[in-house]
Amino acid sequence: MQKIYKTEKMKTNLIILLTILINFVSCNPKESNTEMDSASIFQLNSDWETQDSKQIKLSELKGKTMVMAMIYTSCKTACPRLTAEMNQIEQELGDYDPEKVRFVLVSIDPEVDTPEKMSAYLKTNKFDGKQWMFLRSNDAGTREFANVLSVKYKEISPIDFSHSNILSVFSENGVLAYQKEGLNPDVSDIVNEINKLL
Amino acid sequence: MKSLFRPLFLAVLFTLSFTACKQNSDSSLLADSTMNPEDIALDGTTEVLEMPAPPFVPTPVGDRAAKKIIVNLEIIEKVGELANGVEYNFWTFNGTVPGAFIRARVGDEIELRLKNHEDSVFPHNIDLHSVNGPGGGAEASFVAPGKEAVFTFKALHAGLFVYHCAAAPVGMHIANGMYGLILIEPEGGLPAVDKEYYVMQGDFYTKGAFGEKGLQEFDIDKAIAEQPDYVLFNGNTGSLLGANELQAKVGETVRIFVGNGGPNLTSSFHVIGEIFDRVYVDGGMTINTNVQTTSIPAGGASIVEFKADVPGDYVLVDHAIFRAFHKGALGKIKVNGDENPKVFKKNEPLQTKS
Amino acid sequence: MKPFALTFLFILTSCYQNKSLSDAPKETENLEFIVSKKEMKKIEGGSYLGFIGKDSTRIVEVKSFYIDDSPITNAEFLDFLRENPQWTKSKVTQLYADESYLHNWVSDYEIPKEAKPNSPVTNVSWFAAKAYAESVGKRLPTVEEWEFSALADEVSKDASEKPEFTAYILNAYQNKKAYNAEIKQEKPNFYGLYNMYGMVWEWTEDFNSVMISGESRNDSSTNENLFCAGASATTTDLKNYAAFMRYAMRGSLKANYTVNNLGFRCAKDL
Repeated sequence: MQKIYKTEKMKTNLIILLTILINFVSCNPKESNTEMDSASIFQLNSDWETQDSKQIKLSELKGKTMVMAMIYTSCKTACPRLTAEMNQIEQELGDYDPEKVRFVLVSIDPEVDTPEKMSAYLKTNKFDGKQWMFLRSNDAGTREFANVLSVKYKEISPIDFSHSNILSVFSENGVLAYQKEGLNPDVSDIVNEINKLL
Repeated sequence: MKSLFRPLFLAVLFTLSFTACKQNSDSSLLADSTMNPEDIALDGTTEVLEMPAPPFVPTPVGDRAAKKIIVNLEIIEKVGELANGVEYNFWTFNGTVPGAFIRARVGDEIELRLKNHEDSVFPHNIDLHSVNGPGGGAEASFVAPGKEAVFTFKALHAGLFVYHCAAAPVGMHIANGMYGLILIEPEGGLPAVDKEYYVMQGDFYTKGAFGEKGLQEFDIDKAIAEQPDYVLFNGNTGSLLGANELQAKVGETVRIFVGNGGPNLTSSFHVIGEIFDRVYVDGGMTINTNVQTTSIPAGGASIVEFKADVPGDYVLVDHAIFRAFHKGALGKIKVNGDENPKVFKKNEPLQTKS
Repeated sequence: MKPFALTFLFILTSCYQNKSLSDAPKETENLEFIVSKKEMKKIEGGSYLGFIGKDSTRIVEVKSFYIDDSPITNAEFLDFLRENPQWTKSKVTQLYADESYLHNWVSDYEIPKEAKPNSPVTNVSWFAAKAYAESVGKRLPTVEEWEFSALADEVSKDASEKPEFTAYILNAYQNKKAYNAEIKQEKPNFYGLYNMYGMVWEWTEDFNSVMISGESRNDSSTNENLFCAGASATTTDLKNYAAFMRYAMRGSLKANYTVNNLGFRCAKDL
């Protein structure tokens, strides 16, 4: 009886010890960098929805360099050119690791740009790799995000928005690294900046 | 005979081609001096431009190579005087009307740092007529109070150009004194002269009439009607009078960089008692000679040169003469030195019949 | 007993693990709500000829709303800071405010020497103004709401046709350091609003809907390069210099800017 008890006790103790150890180890996260950079956009608390109807917070995008633009799917004028420039950037990056870069489109017309619309937009433009993402938030979240990017926009009519044409590059920690303002097919500068971060 | 012909022919051919080659190299030399200004190389040094207050200008560039020039301009909104006892809310570049004189040469890379003083009420920017780029720099330099913007441009054209604020409402920003001149000297610099001065004309629109004392408000209706109360050199009736008179000596060559900030009126610039030996027409590189009065449009400039021959007071005016005598478009340059009776002599009155 | 202890320990440690991973400060999640004694006035909705429009006639519809009768003061902002220290000068996040945030404040909880408790708070960013508004259960007014409220002079709802009103405003704008004076020292406008002119520029919810590039000579035609479908700033009133100035000011700002003469007031839906 005593013998069995001892083994039982030891076993339990061992399990307890092991459990504590495991939890303790995982408590100290592998990345020593839990401290959010004071300039990181991951501090924003807004709620976002992806083209796959997934609800996320911006902080979940941490860990990859990001190239972002704010557009809306029914735009007829400059947005197609803006997304063409993003496409151009992807091509000029050449052989990059899709695990390290994310191309993010953010809608300034969240009412109309539903996940279906966002999904269709990505498909039509052949942005089908998993490095492409389309996001929408609510009005307040959108306005706040635009302000972080210094993007100006105004609803002219229910189908027509006026907005600045800006491409932004963020480091994997969510800090704004570079912006390209205005439409210009020459994307070499922004590609250089992205390569610096990779 | 035949045996000689061949070597002779070859010799002639050789000589001809040699001279042709030489011609080519000569024309390539020509090509060098009319090189595309975009391709002018910098010598690698940087200079922070020192800009004295008007009516003085920075030192000439001489024959130095192209380099990087840093220009620091601070926008300061301050109350000053249009005339004795007449106060006005001026908006200025570097605290003066006109703003500081910027000087560089063709091929220089100019980095312009524009700061809007934190006590300013309004946002401002700058448009330089010497800039080849959107808005002359206005888009890139829009600054809220307390903020700073920087942009760089390469000077491609030699000439004397106006710069001014272009923030909305533009007319008011210019009417309040936000203008100045930037000189881009050609390669080798302008020919040397003895004295150089900086004068800029501007029209001012106040609620009160000319001379009415106290703090005067900007009058938008008069500005739209183009009916100023003050037409001034360097922002004040007394800028170039009394103790502030420009100075020169007999025999000296004088160059005046004259600008017109407007906002509305064209100047008919004339120096009473002098003839301009040389006028850089419209501030460009074409030179006219023996000019009495030159027209300087709003937003334009001119370079006038003359040799001081006879001592005395010479009056600078806008020859639309009522402006000179009723609105303040008057300045003076005092020439000191020995009399020059060969050029000018006051005669004794003729004897009347006794 | 032992299994329970084990489970308990397990839960304890895993809870601890989750907390340390989400260390990041969040904007409104930690916002402490405070009570504001600020008086608000009701602005009856209506329409007016907007200053900026795609065509030269652009009717703007504004729904009824409430707006603070005066700018938020140093004292009111101090109340907010005491409950929300993450917004003090020393703790504010770089994302939400630039280097001159509250830079004239003597310390985290001491207002500027030259100003009074009842002076308007300035050197606050749009993010800070928004956080304050949220903490008192309000929001920032939109550009259109603000401009609509500002149409009024002392005696009428809409004084935009009176040239002396524009002249009065232009003149009021020339005052320097008016932000060191106390609020409500002048006569209110028709709606009972104080200090709409000449005290401070004011943040609005959608200030970034003003597509002014700084190149104002170009604004009258669309700048298709900088702005997609850029609504040109063709204005309905070329002589309304005061409006030009307000719109120019809005166009020169970014959300994290803090400026000596830029403050705010709050609004609320009915």
